[in-house]
Parts: sequence; structure tokens; C-alpha cells
Amino acid sequence: MALLEVKNLTVEFGSEDKPFRAVDSVSYSVDRGEVLGIVGESGSGKSVSSLAVMGLIDFPGRVTADALTFDGQDLLNMPAKRRRQITGKDIAMIFQDPMSALNPCFTVEAQIMEALKVHEGGNKKQRRERTLDLLNQVGIPDPKSRMTAYPHQLSGGMSQRIVIAMAIACNPRLLIADEPTTALDVTIQAQIIDLLLKLQEDSDMGLLLITHDLALVSEAANRIQVMYAGQLFESGPADSIFAAPRHPYTQALLEALPERSEGHDRLRTIPGVVPGQYDRPAGCLLAPRCRYANDQCLKARPEVTDFNGRDVRCFYPLNDQGQPTGMATGETVL
Amino acid sequence: MLGFLFRRLGDIIPTFFGVTLLVFFLIRLIPGDPIIMLAGERSVEPERYAELQAQYGFDQPIIVQYFDYLVGVFQGDLGKSFVTKKPVIDEFLTLFPATVELALMGILFAVFIGVPLGVLAAINRGKWIDHLTMSISLTGYSMPIFWWALLLIMFFSTTLGWTPVSGRLSVMYFFEPVTGFMLIDSLLSGEKGAFTSAVSHLILPTVALGTIPMAVIARMTRSSMLEVLGEEYIRVARAKGIAPFRVIMIHALRNALIPVITVIGLQVGVLLGGAILTETIFSWPGIGKWIIEAMNRRDYPTIQGGILMIAFVVMSMNLIVDLLYGIVNPRIRYKR
Repeated sequence: MALLEVKNLTVEFGSEDKPFRAVDSVSYSVDRGEVLGIVGESGSGKSVSSLAVMGLIDFPGRVTADALTFDGQDLLNMPAKRRRQITGKDIAMIFQDPMSALNPCFTVEAQIMEALKVHEGGNKKQRRERTLDLLNQVGIPDPKSRMTAYPHQLSGGMSQRIVIAMAIACNPRLLIADEPTTALDVTIQAQIIDLLLKLQEDSDMGLLLITHDLALVSEAANRIQVMYAGQLFESGPADSIFAAPRHPYTQALLEALPERSEGHDRLRTIPGVVPGQYDRPAGCLLAPRCRYANDQCLKARPEVTDFNGRDVRCFYPLNDQGQPTGMATGETVL
Repeated sequence: MLGFLFRRLGDIIPTFFGVTLLVFFLIRLIPGDPIIMLAGERSVEPERYAELQAQYGFDQPIIVQYFDYLVGVFQGDLGKSFVTKKPVIDEFLTLFPATVELALMGILFAVFIGVPLGVLAAINRGKWIDHLTMSISLTGYSMPIFWWALLLIMFFSTTLGWTPVSGRLSVMYFFEPVTGFMLIDSLLSGEKGAFTSAVSHLILPTVALGTIPMAVIARMTRSSMLEVLGEEYIRVARAKGIAPFRVIMIHALRNALIPVITVIGLQVGVLLGGAILTETIFSWPGIGKWIIEAMNRRDYPTIQGGILMIAFVVMSMNLIVDLLYGIVNPRIRYKR
């Protein structure tokens, strides 16, 4: 059984009769010791879906799912108190911006020890020792003196290490990392990712790595899930997605990578932006930006189908040559 | 820290100087002659008038009078009351505990009602509870103290008879003041019922005086809390699996209180100003009532000394609040 099982997770905001679907029937699973990468542009629902897993979507947001289970326990229908015992202990999360993730009024030590106190108990001395261990583990130099530091005295990279220490304090079985490196500069990014992967391997954690950095997931993730405007567009093993994308969106994302733009004057881009609440197209959500879109794409929304062992949401999945299948030539409208 | 303290003390001296200047000349703009007021209904003969003028130094040019006064102030001499002939500082120190007691109760009322109301409104944002508490606080803020105090007296004292109308203690009890704080003295006296009497006398003045600061604090707490609740670290705290109550009371409130503390410091001035009205209405024997009476009698040294001392207290309170700020907010803790 998978560690985390998500089936048709939907998160809606706004009024009941005219809701805005930030996440639309997304399914995935993460196993012990597995790294699942979720990629997509800003506004694709990556963060919202992970917040839903953590139980951090507040009223007026509505979370529904056919299944949302952790280690066989139904997260959605358990009492709030029971769920809090899992949140922060078995499932932990690392957030995007380390500089705002730490409470400015409390010392590093107090914030890490708090998580330990809530879930593990023990006395103050034990908690302090464990905190020191954790700071060592996440590679903080001179951890003893950092214990009593306040967040404003730490650099971004250092803060993110503290946030990671806080997240792994109770030995979680699943770690959700929501763009853990976005706010950091490039040299620190690699260090933080290496640290996360090392921790993940050492303790056989499941890792849900949310990012818009394709190069990052290609190295780190076993499987990849491509999201767009709240929907799952494509999922499958990381290497095969990189070798042969089946969805035009994945293909366009990969082509936008600088290393794949050799021989072009400019980097390739995908024109337009992710549709928001008020400009959702009637047909396929990607249609206005898709280079292969035809009349059918503009009118109807495709469902997720199995194509050569991969889940793809497209009427005309791409073949190994990167050409749409099942479409008459010259049919594209854009 | 010490450097900061000295710099702030350095700011106080020119302000203090300015206050003496303002008070000294403003009082003399009020029509009425202190000597004629002293003489009362009997008129005073011109020779005697001139004699008295010379005695009080009013025959000197006003600049000289001011300079004489200033020299006295910097030597710790605030002068003697025209009316009672007692040193102003002695009278002030006798009456000040009564005002402090009232002001302290007022600010406690304001904080302990205002902060929870603000938190309650913030966590129920947009719901009826939010609208209700914010309407209450707007009403409280808009109400003139003297009118609100009269309403309280009419309802609770006259109609319901729950509390006494005025004063600090029932006439049944008498004991020598030890600390000057009635709540403490009544306990020390050991007289049965004295403490209850002191408390019941305090309730209405406290509410009347504390209502405006309470309203200000409630609104400030609400907006500050709303801002903090949207911060990422609140989400992180919840992601740790901490119960919502602890997230709000520990993680959010601690941060939300930082601007509220500044407001509380500023309210001390409002409170002492309000105390003048409140004390007059409730016949509370504090410095507010004392200054008003001195004004009616054109008792210059008392007015000058009293206002100067109030200004001094307000400035010191603001200094204390600034120091307190560093304790609550680690980001501005001053370097040693």
C-alpha cells in the first residue's frame, strides 16, 4: 500500500454555485523511499494540493476527494485532533520562503523544540539535545550558538536549514517540500536539495517535491507529475517523461529549458499565462496556449487517459517523435 | 542599551523645558487675577493688592517671573499653593496615588477587555462576532467620557443601586493612608468590608476611564492580528500540528502585540487627560480634580506644578514602553 494515496482531490474556493477549482480531480500516490516531483507553472495548483494534504486549507476553501489516505488512515474524515497528531509528526512540510517561515519572536531552539514537545514529549533537556542533533544533521555550523539565535539573525540558506530541521524533527515518514529552493540563490539551492535527498535516503522517507524547476526534478525525482491550472496533465517515471513527453505542455516546458535551446537565438517560451479564476477556456485549459490545438481542443475538455503506460490529459498525445497522434495533418487552428 | 537610554533622556530635557514654557504662559492668558480670586467676595484695597502682588512676585516683568520659576523647578522646587500655602510637590505626591490607582485600573480594564475582543474579532473576521465587537469599540471610542460616566452613574448607581455614586471609600471607614493606594490600604487596615467598599467605588470610574483606550486597543489588536494571521510562519506553526488555540495565543498574539504596545503607551497620556474629567465627575480625590480646582482659583503654582508632573509621568511612561518594546520584539533589541 502506498504511503500517501490521493484520489480525485479537488479544492474549491468561492461560492457554492460558482466555485473556482484551484485543484481539479488530481490523483497521485507516494511510496516509502520514493521521490515524487510535482511540476507546473505558478498558479497550477501545486501548493494548494499539498496544503490540502496537510489539512491547512481554511474556510472558505473546500477540500473533497474520493480518497485521501496516509498509511491506510483516512485523513479527510478523521477528527481534527487526530489529524494534528499526524500533521507535523508523520507528514511534515517545508515551505517556499524560509525568511518568512520562521516566527520572528522566537529563538531557533524554541521553534524546533515546540514540534518535539507537541509530538514526542520528553523533558526539556532531551528536547534540547535532540535539537542540537538536528542542527548538526542539517549542516549548521556552530549549532550551539545558533540555538539561541533569532530568525532575523540568520541568512536565507541558514533559515531553510532550520525549517528543514523543524520538519524532520519528529522523523516524518512523508516530507512535502513546496519549492524549497525558490527563494534561495543558486549555490545554496544545490546544497539544500542535496541535504533533502540525503535525509530522504537515510530515513527512507517519501518525498513530495513541488517545484517549477525541471532540471531539479530530473535529477531528484523517481516519478513526475505535471500540473496545469489545477489539473493533472501528465504523470509517469521521470526518465521516460524527459525522454519522450506525451503531453504538448510537457513538451513545451522541456523545450523552454535553456540547455535544449542550443542553436536558437532566444530561449523558447510558452506564450500567455495560466488561466485564472475568470478566464478559464471552455475547452482544454491549455488550448489557447497549445501549438497543436484544433477545434475539438477549444470546445471540449479532455479526460486523463492511459497512453503507452502514462497518464495523459490530451486528445492527441504525442508520439516518440514529439508529434501529436490521431490528428489529421494541417488541422491545427493556432 | 545604556546609550539608548541616555539618548532618550536627552530628548526628555528639551521637551520638559518646552512644557514649562507653555504651561507658564498659557495659564497667564486665562482671564482672572489670582489675588482677586484669593480675596473672594470681599474686594481688596489697592494698597493691600500692591502688597500682595509684591509678595507673590507679580510686580516683576513676566520674563523675570518665568526665570525665577524655572530656577525653582530645576532645584526641585515647584512653589507653594496660593490657596493652601503647602508645597505643590507635597500635595501632588499625596494625591497622585489615587490617580495612579484609577489610571492603572483603567489601563488594565482596557488591555484585558480590549486585547481579547480584538483577537476574537480577528479570528472571526467578517462574521457577526466581528461586526458586534467592532461596533462596540467604535461606540466606545466615540463616546465623550463625561457623558458616558453620567450614563453609568444613572444606570448602575441611581437606578440599580449597585455601586456608589462618587468618592473612593464609604464614610463608614477611616484609616491612615500607608501606600496611598486604597485597594492596598483597605486590606492593610484590616477593617471588615473596607476592601469591598474600595472596589465598588473603583468600578464605575475604571469603566468610564478605560472605555476609550479599550476601544482603541481592540481595533488595533484586530488589525494587527489579521495581518499576522496571514503570515507564513502561522501556517508553518499549524503544519507542526500545534492546536489552533496555541497557534493564535502564542505564535500570532506575540507578534500582533508589538504595535499594540506602542498604542498602549500612547494611551497613558489619554488616560491621564481622561482622569481629569473622570475624577471631577466621580469626586475622586486625585490630581485631576486637584488641577481643575486649582484652575478655578487661578492657583498658578499648583496648575504649573501639576501639569509639569503629569507631562513628566507621560514622558517616563513612553520611555518605559520603548524599553519594553525591545523585550517583546527581538528585532529591535538594542545592542549592548
